[in-house]
Amino acid sequence: MSSVKDLERLKAEGMNSLFPSKTKIMVGMATCGQAAGAQEVWQAIHQEVKRRKLDVVVKKTGCIGLCQHEPLLDILKPGYPRITYDRVTPEKVSEVLDGLVKGKFKKSIMARIDHEEFLLDDTRTRYSKDKIPAYITSIVPYNRLPFYKKQKRVALRNCGFIDPENIAEYVAKGGYFSLTQVLRGGKPEKVISQIKRSKLRGRGGAGFLTGVKWEVCRNADGDGKYLICNADEGDPGAYMDRSILEGDPHSIIEGMLIGGFAIGANQGYIYVREEYPLAIERLQSALTQAQEEGLLGENILDSGFDFELEICRGAGAFVCGEETALIQSIEGNWGEPKPRPPFPAVSGLWGKPTVINNVETWANVPVIIAKGANWFNGLGTSRSKGTKVFSLVGKVNNIGLVEVPMGISLREIVYEIGGGIPNGRKFKAVQTGGPSGGCIPKNLIDLPVDFDQLKKAGSIMGSGGMIVMDDRTCMVDVAKYFLTFLEDESCGKCVPCRVGIRRMRELLEDITSGRGREGDIEYLQQMAETIKEGSLCGLGKTAPNPVLTTLHYFRDEYEAHIRGKRCPAGVCKPLITYSINPETCTGCGVCLRVCPQEAISGKKKKPHKITSSKCIKCGACFEVCTFGAIVIT
Amino acid sequence: MVKLTIDDQIVEVPEGTTILEAAEKLNIYIPTLCHHESLTSYGGCRLCVVEITQNGVTDLTSSCTYKVEEGVKVKTTTERVKRVRRLVLELLLAEAPEAQIVQDLAKEMGVTIPERFKPRRDDLCILCGRCIRACRELVGVNAIDFAERGYSKKVAAPFYKSSPDCIACGVCVYICPTGAITMQEVEKGEKARIPEGEEVTGPARIINNWKVGLAMKRCKKCGEVIAPEFQLDYLRKKVNLPEDHFDICLSCRE
Amino acid sequence: MSSFEDEGIVDEIIKKNEQSSLIVILQEVQSHYNYLPEQALTLLNKKLEVPLSKIFSLATFYRSFSLRPRGKNVIKVCLGTACHVKSGNNLFEKAKRDLNLTEGEVTTLDLGFTVEKVRCLGCCSLAPVVRINEDTYGSMTQERLSKVLKKYL
Repeated sequence: MSSVKDLERLKAEGMNSLFPSKTKIMVGMATCGQAAGAQEVWQAIHQEVKRRKLDVVVKKTGCIGLCQHEPLLDILKPGYPRITYDRVTPEKVSEVLDGLVKGKFKKSIMARIDHEEFLLDDTRTRYSKDKIPAYITSIVPYNRLPFYKKQKRVALRNCGFIDPENIAEYVAKGGYFSLTQVLRGGKPEKVISQIKRSKLRGRGGAGFLTGVKWEVCRNADGDGKYLICNADEGDPGAYMDRSILEGDPHSIIEGMLIGGFAIGANQGYIYVREEYPLAIERLQSALTQAQEEGLLGENILDSGFDFELEICRGAGAFVCGEETALIQSIEGNWGEPKPRPPFPAVSGLWGKPTVINNVETWANVPVIIAKGANWFNGLGTSRSKGTKVFSLVGKVNNIGLVEVPMGISLREIVYEIGGGIPNGRKFKAVQTGGPSGGCIPKNLIDLPVDFDQLKKAGSIMGSGGMIVMDDRTCMVDVAKYFLTFLEDESCGKCVPCRVGIRRMRELLEDITSGRGREGDIEYLQQMAETIKEGSLCGLGKTAPNPVLTTLHYFRDEYEAHIRGKRCPAGVCKPLITYSINPETCTGCGVCLRVCPQEAISGKKKKPHKITSSKCIKCGACFEVCTFGAIVIT
Repeated sequence: MVKLTIDDQIVEVPEGTTILEAAEKLNIYIPTLCHHESLTSYGGCRLCVVEITQNGVTDLTSSCTYKVEEGVKVKTTTERVKRVRRLVLELLLAEAPEAQIVQDLAKEMGVTIPERFKPRRDDLCILCGRCIRACRELVGVNAIDFAERGYSKKVAAPFYKSSPDCIACGVCVYICPTGAITMQEVEKGEKARIPEGEEVTGPARIINNWKVGLAMKRCKKCGEVIAPEFQLDYLRKKVNLPEDHFDICLSCRE
Repeated sequence: MSSFEDEGIVDEIIKKNEQSSLIVILQEVQSHYNYLPEQALTLLNKKLEVPLSKIFSLATFYRSFSLRPRGKNVIKVCLGTACHVKSGNNLFEKAKRDLNLTEGEVTTLDLGFTVEKVRCLGCCSLAPVVRINEDTYGSMTQERLSKVLKKYL
């Protein structure tokens, strides 16, 4: 591709693909969709379409965010709003297509979309003609669903709307035009200045000002600079980056091309954790397409700028999400972090100046170029500009991927977007920032979400994992969980982290097993604070955060475990007992059959009983009892 | 030259000097464990941490790795620094209670094993990595390296079996600060067993930890023991010496 | 394992990945054998002139590498935070019970299955999640796990 004309041609192609003249059927085929059964739905659609000889187009798409409702099937019939069916099964497919053939839609539609937003060029495309059947206009539009009302999709602009394996559709939505603008302008310093003025902060967790990092790297000595995309999203509970990689891989490629031009780098790497095989596949396919279109390689868009991008696969080490350890890994070494300074922007990969940014950070770059720094820093709070993608998971009704402007409150996220706590349980805490973060309790629920506010509360923004916890979550167990995770992932180089975390975890094992002693809380507190100070890298320095925040906000739970030898939430196995409530038990015997230890006894239609000495608290009976007769105290 | 302040004393040192080296110039003592002047810095034990203030920002960092910068202010014994050093020694004391050097350093700082910890017992290794760095940087044989990660990390020969590359030079034995690596010099005619291996007859040298036992080469003239045959073979090939170069010991050559 | 046959395989892997790091080569070897055989690593040491101690070091640092043969079917039970609060650990224990694996064991004697814990597959919205080979299963329950396992026998 040598000119804007070629890009325009691709755009036209993409528009035809996005809005074909025949009915388009879209299936959400990201990993969560597939985990819910989208693969079977995909196959069923193809079989049925063939069998009925339907003249339709069937396309894959990425994650639109309402992950819990997957598999999602969308119909875009020319002249009608886009319709979404949720929780689709191969059986439902048949019914949906039956209806289509007859010219009707099945009434169990989840939501509709009336028009599609084109964020980058500020346009919208209406899907439908004026006259639409009443039963369709009565379906709630997406942007009025509580889940979507307060969202603003910037990094996720294309996810769920385009076929991630089709570069033309990415271009149709404004893709690669930002790159064109940048290359035509020919001034790297201008690009850096724009990113600086946008005040974009890194979305990987540390929140460092991206523009400043780029500037330092540009000005650093060294022939041969590098660009890295940190796609080693290791925080358990966070999958924002995976969704972007699977749903809109070109946004990263374009972002990195722009960054490479700005800094003066001609080689980039995308380091993806190997637990994301589909993301790697989609990225690879996107790279190939970009190369074929001349958007990667030599003399891109006739500008004289060369850029090559390569994928590096992780090998199962959370610590490789730390930038210096990531660099070590690309170089073929142990993922052992190095003391900073020197910072990678000055001396990074192979000792050369290197900029490392997170997936979500890169995805924002083309938007800032297209819409301008002022548009971007018009969103968010005074020191946290733009939007942030969160994975809202755990004990909340609407589980999924949300993107909101910085500054929205936790209450709005959990109760309005998230729809509150399910099963009549009570909100207890929100965990943010993964293993480096902390738990924020109920009395801080009106906290505006931004980098500084979360830090003040003792947590961190982190990469965006937001885990909601209810009264059946034990906070001491949560602290123990994170310590166990970090103990396993520590590289082992420095004493405070390698040995300190292990010792803290042992203490928590004692506490959660009824062997806690007076003074343990004070000792944990002291050790945690010192490990924070003495560790070499970010992993060790932030490892004590879950312990410190739970000690601070949920001290009473620790005391219950230590003094009362009780687990109030009913989680810590050595401190709980499973029993059957004779008043609600119907004697159906289902629990008796699933118990692996034969610990349940009872006659048919009579209340059953659990023999505690045999019970291993595996939870199988709790899972199958439909009468809620299994009681955990 | 770079000028900086350590404990309110000004010192000027060449660029590339570490804070630890600069402090030595001022006769300011900073405790170390994983550091050794003949090896590259590691920064793993965290005993040598100091407080540095630059551009208004104060942070803790290891003095053995941090290269001096103009105008940086260093404090070597603040409360923060002492807390970290004490924790490191508490933790190490519980890991390797028999290690003399850890005991000495702990006594220096008034640290004892916290009553809450169950001390580990028989391992003297504190994972300072000096042996590995010595084998890599001084000897160039790379016979050993770290294996596993986190708390399970250990220093090991490949597959935990007898090291195929070890030349039994003994550098690791000497450079280990706690005596965790041990060696047996087997006299002529005596017998000894390689750990998890076979019996050897002296003259031989056994490095217990890497399960290596090598026969010693003896001088063809005087019969004195020179060095392990495997080691001499390795050196001969590396430097391209004639086949019989090490047949006569140094004293006999004179 | 005939040594000639393996030398050819290892040679090919090295040739295909000439510009790549040692980690990539190890990933290819693991891909082929489903684990890292000692003989293959020793061959790499000779052919790449990289110290054997370093190869062993890398093989034991990164969790995706296994020095012991793994089962034909690898069951990965996700223990990310979202899966943990939804009792993912109980699923792990159930898998082990169903396959008659004791405390320290992870692979069945007939090399049919290996059970592993993984930290976050990124499907947190459908916690708890289990991945068997290339298939990812969301909203898993103990009952369903037993049924699904039978599919792979």
